[in-house]
Amino acid sequence: MSTLLTYISVNDGKIKRSSLEVLSRCNELAEASGQSSAALVVDANAEQYVDQLKNYGVSTVYLIKDPIFKNHLNTPLLRALSLAVDKVNPSVFAFASTESSKDILGALAANKKAASLSDMSEFELTDNGVKGKRPVMAAKIVSAVEAEGSPVILSVRSGSYDVVEKVSDPAVETIDFSFDEGELKSTLKEIISASGDKIDLSEAETVIAAGRGAKDEKGQELVSELASVLNAGIGASRALTESGIYDPSLQIGQTGKVVSPQLYIGIGISGAIQHVAGMANSKVIVAINKDPDAPIFDIADYGIVGDLYKVLPPFIEELKKIKA
Amino acid sequence: MKFYVCIKQVPDVYAPLQIKDGQLVQDADRNVLNAYDASALEEALVLKEAHGGEVEVVLVGPEKGKETIRKGLAMGADKGTHIVTTGEENFDSFVYANLLASFFKDKEYDFISCGKQSQDTDAGLTGSMLAELLDLPFATNAVGLAYEEGQLIVKRQGDMGQEIIALPSPGLVTCSNDMNDPRIPSLKGIMQSKRKPVESVSIDDLEIDGSITSKTKVLGFEEKSMREPGKKYEGEPEDIAREVAQLLDSQENLV
Repeated sequence: MSTLLTYISVNDGKIKRSSLEVLSRCNELAEASGQSSAALVVDANAEQYVDQLKNYGVSTVYLIKDPIFKNHLNTPLLRALSLAVDKVNPSVFAFASTESSKDILGALAANKKAASLSDMSEFELTDNGVKGKRPVMAAKIVSAVEAEGSPVILSVRSGSYDVVEKVSDPAVETIDFSFDEGELKSTLKEIISASGDKIDLSEAETVIAAGRGAKDEKGQELVSELASVLNAGIGASRALTESGIYDPSLQIGQTGKVVSPQLYIGIGISGAIQHVAGMANSKVIVAINKDPDAPIFDIADYGIVGDLYKVLPPFIEELKKIKA
Repeated sequence: MKFYVCIKQVPDVYAPLQIKDGQLVQDADRNVLNAYDASALEEALVLKEAHGGEVEVVLVGPEKGKETIRKGLAMGADKGTHIVTTGEENFDSFVYANLLASFFKDKEYDFISCGKQSQDTDAGLTGSMLAELLDLPFATNAVGLAYEEGQLIVKRQGDMGQEIIALPSPGLVTCSNDMNDPRIPSLKGIMQSKRKPVESVSIDDLEIDGSITSKTKVLGFEEKSMREPGKKYEGEPEDIAREVAQLLDSQENLV
């Protein structure tokens, strides 16, 4: 019986929702095709995630544990993933599309001479591989693609599938791994974290996105206040990250982060296709913009046409009243 | 310092697009230098200006790709190599990476760079594939580059923030388009580009293993299914703001 293997992205004790989405899809495909669904955790403290994974229906949890995995480094990660492929021999090796997985997906595929498909918005199994869809041409259109062979290495855009809980009692297997730091060809000197932002944007249930219309100090204040009332992550359009007003890691869009929250509120965002590619999977979209023809209104569930400086204060006040 | 920058010619993604019988049709057959590669080239030129050396652009593609090589030379690259294809082969990232790896195997260089992805396919696979095939240390999604004591100091955008990585030579780096504004070629640059050498290499000369074939296939294209627009609220800001806030609570249960 072959296996669909999902790489579990973790951060600081928490499994990333985007990888649970991929795992849920793999569970569904495994069940329909009589294969098994397994999860792989590569981390300095890999075993701490086993209990959480019991809620997501996998048959086996593979662990690769080494202090080197405290930070993202592509050389040891590639070694670990290559070892996991040899050990598990999966038919599909699936990743959530994150900056870390984008870093190594091609290299892993080349190492294993395997087919690879990145940033899929949907995928299914075929007799001898995988087929599915992925956005192309700056996310203006969708391309239908197919890959043959085993394993097919693929990554999935966040928000493409729902997380489905299902209790199981998985076998736990640790894959032996050792890595000598002397083998590190490149070295990580420093990590500069996004400025004091505690909520991980790609995981947030509510996202407030600031656009050109909110670029001055007053606009930024209103965005922060709204985010604090709704306990939301703050993101921004490319215009505002490029001008240095918001940290580059907060850019939402085709070249930045893909977010898929329950609630997205765009403040002074026009809805350029590049930005929309990064947020169109949000469950409920609210847009506040003074231009009634802004393209964001074509996809917004609630489109408020108005000056954000006049709309936001009563909006925030009303939300506070509801919460009280 | 010898820098090779791998560049790709892509259809202009901002030109109007249509889908006919599952195939992409662009009214204007406009082809441009991939914006991410343009950023990689700009960065290599800046490093060359500061530290000396040579920048060579390498393009895999059909005959019309020559225009894009000329663009790179007009921006300031010293020379170019054109690995010529018919354009009808339907190569995937794996084949492109192998063609490039074969080209680079007997070359000497300090760094290879390219865009982190191409604007047409947005796949983002070829760069790290090439690094793996050449067994080079690599960093992807660079948003800043500096050259210090023989190493490339790469600032890359990671999941948790920006990672500063020291990349020894020879190494490979893929670049984001957030790192710079690529220069527009000057008239002088355009004139000079016509005298700069461009070498053509046939795929047959690269002698890649017969087992290297495309592992993925594009079956066709379709329109993106767009969300239905909801309701637009216009009027007194105070009233519509409160109304939507209440609906987010009563209708969506999201407050």
